[in-house]
Amino acid sequence: MDRAHELAPAVGGRARPFRARLTGGLLVLPGVGWLLAFFLAPLLIIFVVSFGSNDTTGHVVLNDLGFRNYIEATKPEFLPAFANSVRYSFLTTILSLAIGYPIAFWISRHGGRHKILLLILVMLPFWTSYLIRTYAWMIILRDNGVANSILMGLGITSDPIPFLNTDFSVVLGMTYGFLPFAILPLYVSIDRLDDELVKAGRDLYASGRGVFLHVVLPLTMPGIIAASILTFIPAMGDYVTPDLLGGAQTSTIAKVVQVLFTSGRDWPYGSALGFMLMVVTLGGTLLAIRALRQETFG
Amino acid sequence: MSDRYDGSQPDLERELARYLAERRLTRRTLLELIANVGAVAALAPIVAACTGAAASASPSQVSTATPIPPSSAPSATPVATATPQPTPVPTPESELFIYNWDGYIGDKTQSDFEAKYGIKVKYDKFPDASTQITKIRSDLKGGGYDLTYPASTDIGPLSRDGVISALDHSLLPNLKNLGPTWVDPDYDKGNKFSVPNYWWTTGIAWNPAKVKEDITSWASLWDPRYTGKLGMLDDLQEVFAAGGFRLSLPANTTQDTDLDAILALLKTQKPLLRKYTQDDIGDFTGGQLWMTQAWSGDWVQMTYDPGSANAKYVIPSEGAVRGSDTMVVLSGAKHPIAAHLWIDFNLDAKVSAANSNFIGYMGPNAAAQAFIDPAILGNPNLNPDAGVYSGLAELVTLEGTDLSKYTSRWIELTS
Repeated sequence: MDRAHELAPAVGGRARPFRARLTGGLLVLPGVGWLLAFFLAPLLIIFVVSFGSNDTTGHVVLNDLGFRNYIEATKPEFLPAFANSVRYSFLTTILSLAIGYPIAFWISRHGGRHKILLLILVMLPFWTSYLIRTYAWMIILRDNGVANSILMGLGITSDPIPFLNTDFSVVLGMTYGFLPFAILPLYVSIDRLDDELVKAGRDLYASGRGVFLHVVLPLTMPGIIAASILTFIPAMGDYVTPDLLGGAQTSTIAKVVQVLFTSGRDWPYGSALGFMLMVVTLGGTLLAIRALRQETFG
Repeated sequence: MSDRYDGSQPDLERELARYLAERRLTRRTLLELIANVGAVAALAPIVAACTGAAASASPSQVSTATPIPPSSAPSATPVATATPQPTPVPTPESELFIYNWDGYIGDKTQSDFEAKYGIKVKYDKFPDASTQITKIRSDLKGGGYDLTYPASTDIGPLSRDGVISALDHSLLPNLKNLGPTWVDPDYDKGNKFSVPNYWWTTGIAWNPAKVKEDITSWASLWDPRYTGKLGMLDDLQEVFAAGGFRLSLPANTTQDTDLDAILALLKTQKPLLRKYTQDDIGDFTGGQLWMTQAWSGDWVQMTYDPGSANAKYVIPSEGAVRGSDTMVVLSGAKHPIAAHLWIDFNLDAKVSAANSNFIGYMGPNAAAQAFIDPAILGNPNLNPDAGVYSGLAELVTLEGTDLSKYTSRWIELTS
């Protein structure tokens, strides 16, 4: 409803005075400039480099452009790492939604006048570097770390449980890292939810579960989709968490790209793999969102 | 030794070296003078004393000089560029940007240097050598740093591509402290571009409380009894070298059949591993690793942790890698004189020994031996006798298709 109202002037866009349009253009100029310089330009450079090759000394040369890096990048060797990345990102997204949704719901409905304070608490971890927080997890999870000391002190286990360098530690670290990115969009959509519609659902004899599934969930779906995008896509590209908390059995595709850029000193190949990863991730996410929307809105 | 670099002007060079040695003691007075009377007046007598030699040592010369290929006469450049116009004598800059490993110098080295010269050191750390090389190669001038510590095997490519600049030996009087095997190393004849810093071995470190046997062979890192407690370094060349030793293949092999055989062997090891570790010290002291491929100095640092004080280390019988690293001045250095002062400071016998005692790596500094902890000096794993030492292999820098052969197999192994 609100949105229809906002869109109203745009419908008669042609009638808008020239000055108003000029002001609008000037206002977006810094943003467009920023994106051009710091988003599109690097992306374009990587795109061009991905068609190039390395000379014998490891320098990028662009005199013989071709698809060879892309052909290389589709080798089956990458599949285990890619599958791991998808698995970790998927689990991270599901866990972030499962943990984030009730938190966002609670803050919105029961936060009262402390809502802002509670939201600040959600964002509090950002005040410390992500790297340092990940190191803190290493101290907690390592074999003679905090968690194992407690478990062994309580006599629950006699030998330390290997938490670190496993699937568990990677998913835990990523969920911890991306949870705030899920809570914030979820909160926005839940906070906008019209209580009258929930009441109407109850009036029509829907059960609590029925109201949630048929009223609350569809109405907060935009927030769920936004939260999924904000966790899944960065999780696919995250290499810090798997690198620090992961181990020999938890390779990810982002780590492979990093190896190509550093130890391998093969930027064209790394660029091609990175670019393909981006396209696959974006495409897959868009398809998933479409399916999700159709599922909810019919 | 000095004749090698001095070429036709040994006297001038020595003159400048002596002047610099004196200047260091009176640096503060000199700076005050400069502040009071102005640079030209303060430096005039010194310029007069050094005449032509000053030209060869001017800061701009050091920073912009194109590295001369080892084949050409070292004395050619100073002679050719010496002009009658007096160039200002080098005055150390007030800052120095160093790019190095974490915990790689004695705990007082930086503060002592700052106190002695009044130079503010900015010390950035890299997590692994490939990050270091990628960064200093990003602009082919050092990525904004003045000085870094590359492995000796990197010196060839770095000097060829102009990433590092030729050193001014007249600013490094303490070069005389180097041991005889280090004054003319194969990777950098005559130490033209680099000054050797440490040397070490790559072997196996283990926790005797968990691994109750004497480890002598690389095969132990394939022992299924320790599944999930074994580590290898996150370094493709070191890992392939270790696999190669087990198969009696030469280190640095680039034969496809050799590499395929090593890869097959390493694939049987991967399921047993906890981690290809970037932090062998932390993963060992944290309890995740009972036995790991490790650098000798990292083992020393493991023993500093109370829980790992008994950690053991061995140079495996099949063979092992020996490595060394260097200090270099980057070609884009904005503070080249300060960088030379840092190198010379670290060549001092006591400073060098303090660095070695802290990290546990042996240095190439002969004069420092007297001050090195006997526990390090007398330890055959840290300071192997000549027979063992000569049998150790040194890794070479891989480039082009040779590097691709390793990278593609490394990715196949780890992904």
